[in-house]
Amino acid sequence: MNIFKLLLLANIFCIGISGCSKKSQDEVVVYTTVDQIFSEPVLKDFEKQTGITVKAVFDTEETKSTGVLNRLIAEKNNPQCDVFWSGDPVRAIILKNRGITAPYNSAAASDIESHFRDKEFHWTGFSARARVLVYNTDLIKPGDAPKSILDLTRKQYKGKVAIANPLFGTTSFQFAALFLTLGDQKAKQFLTDLKKNRVVIATSNGDVKRRVASGEVWCGLTDTDDAFEALKEGSPIKIVFLDQNGLGELINPNTVSLIKNSPDNVNGKKLIDYLLSRETEKKLAESCAQMPLHKNVRTPAGLRSLDNIKAMSVDYDKAARKLEEIQVYLKQWVEENQ
Amino acid sequence: MKKSLYFLTITAFLFLVIVPLFSVVVGSFANNGDVSFKNYFQIFNYKNFSLLLKTVGIAFCVSIISTLNGGFFAFVLTKTDLPLKNLFKLVLLIPLFLSPYILAVSWVDFFIISGIEKNFIYSPAGVVFLLSIIFSPLSMIIVSSGLSNLSSRYEEAGLIVTTHQKVIFKIILPLIKPALISSFILVFILSVSEFSVPAFLSVNVFTTEIFTQFSAFYNYGSAVANSMVLVLICVSLLMAERFYLAEASFLSIGTKSHTVKIVNLKNNFKCFFLFITTVYVFISVFIPVIVLSAQAFKESTEAFRQATVLLVPAIFNSLLYAAIGALLLVFFGFVFAYISEREKIKFINLILLITFGIPSTVLGIGLIKFFNTQALNFIYSGFWIIIFGYLGRFIFIAERLIANSIRQVPVSFEESAELMGAGFFLRIRKILSPLISNGLFGAFLISFIFCLGELGTTILVYPPGTSVMPIKVFTIMANAPQSLTSSMCLFVLIITTLSLSILFAGQKVLSKQQG
Repeated sequence: MNIFKLLLLANIFCIGISGCSKKSQDEVVVYTTVDQIFSEPVLKDFEKQTGITVKAVFDTEETKSTGVLNRLIAEKNNPQCDVFWSGDPVRAIILKNRGITAPYNSAAASDIESHFRDKEFHWTGFSARARVLVYNTDLIKPGDAPKSILDLTRKQYKGKVAIANPLFGTTSFQFAALFLTLGDQKAKQFLTDLKKNRVVIATSNGDVKRRVASGEVWCGLTDTDDAFEALKEGSPIKIVFLDQNGLGELINPNTVSLIKNSPDNVNGKKLIDYLLSRETEKKLAESCAQMPLHKNVRTPAGLRSLDNIKAMSVDYDKAARKLEEIQVYLKQWVEENQ
Repeated sequence: MKKSLYFLTITAFLFLVIVPLFSVVVGSFANNGDVSFKNYFQIFNYKNFSLLLKTVGIAFCVSIISTLNGGFFAFVLTKTDLPLKNLFKLVLLIPLFLSPYILAVSWVDFFIISGIEKNFIYSPAGVVFLLSIIFSPLSMIIVSSGLSNLSSRYEEAGLIVTTHQKVIFKIILPLIKPALISSFILVFILSVSEFSVPAFLSVNVFTTEIFTQFSAFYNYGSAVANSMVLVLICVSLLMAERFYLAEASFLSIGTKSHTVKIVNLKNNFKCFFLFITTVYVFISVFIPVIVLSAQAFKESTEAFRQATVLLVPAIFNSLLYAAIGALLLVFFGFVFAYISEREKIKFINLILLITFGIPSTVLGIGLIKFFNTQALNFIYSGFWIIIFGYLGRFIFIAERLIANSIRQVPVSFEESAELMGAGFFLRIRKILSPLISNGLFGAFLISFIFCLGELGTTILVYPPGTSVMPIKVFTIMANAPQSLTSSMCLFVLIITTLSLSILFAGQKVLSKQQG
């Protein structure tokens, strides 16, 4: 048998055994930027409870969790997705502004503060993360750790601080929030000072955590879930909630949105209700230290609740607009640092 | 019959790849409904120019080093009687099985663990070092394929009058020139469009700009315009190659069944080559694998067990899609190579090169925009969209490899058969395909490896709920414990190595039956 016959036979075999995927009637499609390791168990529980099959598309850290968003934008004219579960409000706001989401006011979110919900119900927040500082305990004594984000520009931290690329993800949102609260001039000065202090720009928050844990740098800014994951792994790090006597820490809730003209609106709403439930918040508090936005959700010992953190006062819509405004400046800043 | 085959193949390719890509490229000329060159004018500035120079410099160094490395090992493992050469052939491919991003993480971890000054790895030199390790196996396969098609008669004739060294430089190297140049071009294009390694090592390159336009600004027009610059560079490289090879003749397969001339190494040479190969295997393969293993089994085997549970459901799909993708690539690659080499329609190379030079994200967006319609939803919602992504991404590689093999077969063989009344398909089946079986196998092998690891386009188009290994590894690795991430990488490595071992064994059995 020559190689051509073999290739032909193999092709027929492969095509034969792989039929087209049948679409089940009772299913819901969700795209999420939340790490699969945390989001998948929640979606599986939803499947178990409702019998509705969840078909998920997850994102990767390598693409800075923007693969899903690019896909949603490209699919706008013929949506394949019912629900978008985002790890932060920025992406939900981008989709709203591009006319990709539809309003849905879920009863499950009735006791969540209006501050964490879109005024037109295009997105609703739940389970929040905070931006925190992590430092390597082998390199910084607990008393010497920075207490304010502005401390990172001190000489003693020259070349010893890491942040994720501020053009992407929660870091970009943190910087936009800083511009809002400090004002453009002070915020730019802070970034200039950071640059002078040779801040290390890591590829992601996970990379910041890795660099701090390995001692490549002394400390860095990341999200609480990354920080708690490093603690779970036994890394020599500690967490600091910055600016507790001043600006406060940026709180980033997860958000969930219904996609406009989605294939299955009914199941989509059921999934949104489930994600906004206390049950989901409790699970996310246990699996990745996310802080519930509902009142009186039991959380694991050691996890700070939102009531015990001074949160940065920021309007998410305004911060998203600010981000668009400062993106070119941030890009230039990153390029000058590399 | 021949023309029908050409027509069907070209039409299918136009529909599956070119039209979706074209629609995105056309979109880059649009601005609020008007035709505009704004996205293109924005490219021309000093910052982009210096970034481009840096990118081209890195890609040039990587291509030279990889081709030298790959060429050396291809020669040693194909043309000599080096002990354990079959094992080395397989082991040396391993860097190609691991995602560049994972490999970069392992190397950085190695620098940290061993306490070596890490400034080197976080620099353009570090990028060159890592990408050379990653792409040397590709060069090795390409050059090996060229060497396997060399008729022993030329070398034997040369050896009657001169030394081995002269035969290498005066006969072998000129005859495998197309393979060496193909290796250089393919590695150059892959390096110039690589994003994950430079990004992880904090080295700003031109693809960083493209990625930023896509992922921070969601400005597809600007991203596509920027990627056109890379395409232009790749096209000029192809033109240079055509100019350089225009007058050369590379026929090398003899009139009887050809055998590879094996050089019997003297003991001291054998020891020397064995030492060099072992050291290289240690650096390029063992170091990252040891780092991954140390992280995976740091505390117990639990992480590896977990990785197995997570990835087992994805194995079948991944291997199946990669196999279908590779078969399709070999088919399309063969038809295009035949058109290019026998009908002398070289324009086709240019089209394929453009599809190869365009970043994977652009292809992904193109496929979504074209296939995600009510009429074509049956394709978009199934696994075929992933396969079409593979086709667009890697057809140039498959075509180049097969074209190199076809170029080495004198056209007179087919002409003689035609005079005897043999039809087109009979000539292909009985004459050409047996003579280029090594090239076809090489093309299948590389296509299979690349399809199995493809992430950039697949992440944008994979149907919801579908599981393939690279997607699973990368979606799980965000915030997963390091031990789990490393375990998953090792698992993928094992599955890929096993699949390739089976493929190599199958090829051996087949060639024995034919021989």
